[in-house]
Amino acid sequence: MRTRIRDQWPTLLVAALAGTFGVALLHVTGLLGAAIAADEVTGESATVTLILGIVASVFIVIAVYVSAIVTANTVATVVAGRTRLIALLRLIGSSARSQRAQIAKEGLLVGLVGAVIGVGAGTGAAMLLEQVAVATDLMPATDYDYLNPAVVLPAVAVAITTWLAAWVGSRRVLRVRPIQAIGDSHEQDREELSRHRVRNIAAIVLVVFGVGLLVAGILWGLTEPYGVLVAMVGGILSFTGIVLGAHVVMPPVLRLVGRAFGTSPAARLAAENAVRHPERSSRMTIGLVIGVTLVTTFAVTMESYRELIRAAQRAQPEVYQGVDQMLDVTVAVFTVLIGFSALIAAIGMVNTLSLSVMQRTRELGLLRALGFERRQLRWMIVAESAALTLAATVTGIVLGFGYGWAGAQSLLGGAQGEGTVVLPGIPWAMFGVLLVAAGVLTLAASIAPARRAMRVAPVVALAVE
Amino acid sequence: MQIQPSDLGLIARVTGLGKRYGHGAGTVTALDDVSLGLRRGEFTAIMGPSGSGKSTLMHIMAGLDSPTAGRVWLGDTDITELSDSALTVLRRRRIGFVFQSFNLVPTLDVRGNVMLPFELDGRRPSRDEQAWIDELIGSLGLSARLRHRPHELSGGQQQRVAIARALATRPDLVFADEPTGNLDSRTGREVLGLLATASASYGQSIAMVTHDPVAASHADRILFLADGRIVRDTGRSSAEEISAFMLSMEVAA
Repeated sequence: MRTRIRDQWPTLLVAALAGTFGVALLHVTGLLGAAIAADEVTGESATVTLILGIVASVFIVIAVYVSAIVTANTVATVVAGRTRLIALLRLIGSSARSQRAQIAKEGLLVGLVGAVIGVGAGTGAAMLLEQVAVATDLMPATDYDYLNPAVVLPAVAVAITTWLAAWVGSRRVLRVRPIQAIGDSHEQDREELSRHRVRNIAAIVLVVFGVGLLVAGILWGLTEPYGVLVAMVGGILSFTGIVLGAHVVMPPVLRLVGRAFGTSPAARLAAENAVRHPERSSRMTIGLVIGVTLVTTFAVTMESYRELIRAAQRAQPEVYQGVDQMLDVTVAVFTVLIGFSALIAAIGMVNTLSLSVMQRTRELGLLRALGFERRQLRWMIVAESAALTLAATVTGIVLGFGYGWAGAQSLLGGAQGEGTVVLPGIPWAMFGVLLVAAGVLTLAASIAPARRAMRVAPVVALAVE
Repeated sequence: MQIQPSDLGLIARVTGLGKRYGHGAGTVTALDDVSLGLRRGEFTAIMGPSGSGKSTLMHIMAGLDSPTAGRVWLGDTDITELSDSALTVLRRRRIGFVFQSFNLVPTLDVRGNVMLPFELDGRRPSRDEQAWIDELIGSLGLSARLRHRPHELSGGQQQRVAIARALATRPDLVFADEPTGNLDSRTGREVLGLLATASASYGQSIAMVTHDPVAASHADRILFLADGRIVRDTGRSSAEEISAFMLSMEVAA
């Protein structure tokens, strides 16, 4: 069976980006390691290199995790668009399992290609960075060998996670019934929802258990700095729970955001569209929620830390001289690193929104037939995109604020020798950047689908397929 | 010893078939105690107005939907409680489908669409089967179009491809669901002629669901459904006779 790789280009983009990021980061770590080893003062210390490696791995794991979630959602969207074709093949006698295996195979193929692109582009990016850094005297020239076998690791990780994510995302293939090839087939909302009991329970258990650990970590953090490790496990567990239960968490947020868009028919329909298929809208937003949560968590923790340092600075100015600049650089570097994961999430959102508009050609044609103007149609799609982006951003900021404060509290609560309550630092600049980015994302995500939607002729809705 | 459907010369049989949707006061009865047998090698038309249950009957006989009462056989196989995977294999090897909306795979060319049932079965056609497919493609006038995609073909040509696909595996039974519904009347007649020929010359059993009297007049046998029951079972009839009966059903109701 010939594959329809064309549907899979968004997945390829995500895989290639994650691969590029991982490979480039490892090369840069290697470069820094080589520079440190060459330096006479620090050359003996293997610790710095080790820490660099650990930090790089953490960020690579985060990027791969985000891209896996994005890919699973993209594949689920692709499958939704192929329902009729899958139903036809099932009708003629293809088994559900072979249909699913087909999609997983596409995932593996796309993941491999993405990994290869990642190795190439990542190495190129690292070389470019090195030349710039050496030319501007930021870094001495090193004898770093770009044939670093370690870069195979992120590449393999990308290929395998894309494959797995495609497998997970394709589970709804199993629900396509052959009879859907005949007559009209609809996304079956109620049926879908009723099957989520196991998933809901898992989500609740994870959230409850995770929040428990988070609280324990914060309390422990009042006396021991290790509390942050417990809190981190709690954070990961509870957040995974939220991701699993996204189809319950997101619709109320979307409904609230939708009310803010006024009561014109286009705005009302846009709000309805965003809520109508909880499965679909949570699929579209959750990647971005993850990205924004990561960025916010990190920014809030750093800001709280910075406030603590500033307070100490006011008390003993001479001890903390020159700390400001170092802090700024550290924050900037980490923000770029974590921001990359948010970028992957944003791309995922643009993809799923475009795909889902394309899949609704008939419905858009119907609106035109009923008398919607092109202008109204465009506004509807922009509003829908804005509702989704805004809901994801707000949810991410709220979650990130909570996690960020928990992180700062558990890490710094006992820093002064006695248990204190750390006030959460509010990174206003970061919130501003996030909101502007959300606006840009809304436009980016809606331009192509809106143009496509405006080309839909009203007669499409009336034609028999 | 139990009598098998095939002993009676039947290719498909249903007994006491019932299908209800919903519960309580909102129950809709689509089929009500239907029993019938389709004879091997015959071209049978199943007629009835919209909502008479003819599509539901076809879906159940093809294993696409399950009845709420009664049993269903294809050949000597009781398919009433077959698993999804067993039904999948059954559809692949023993049933063919022709639809109103053609339902070809848009990314495959004509050849790919016709060979699809074999590809799904994970095997290549034997020499004998290949000869049969070549003959089919020739007699359906598709030889010059093998490399064309569905969107490059007219409606009539697309339906010929669908017929070739349905007949390629020499299935026990071909189901045709309003096969002329999307075609102009001349092309529709050609398609019906092809189905009738497949039945007469190759002994292919065909069950066609339609509400078009002209289409039904090509069949060897015509079953009329109304309100989920069989109300008439006749041999070959002219379009006028069929129309007259349909009208009388409307008047009686």
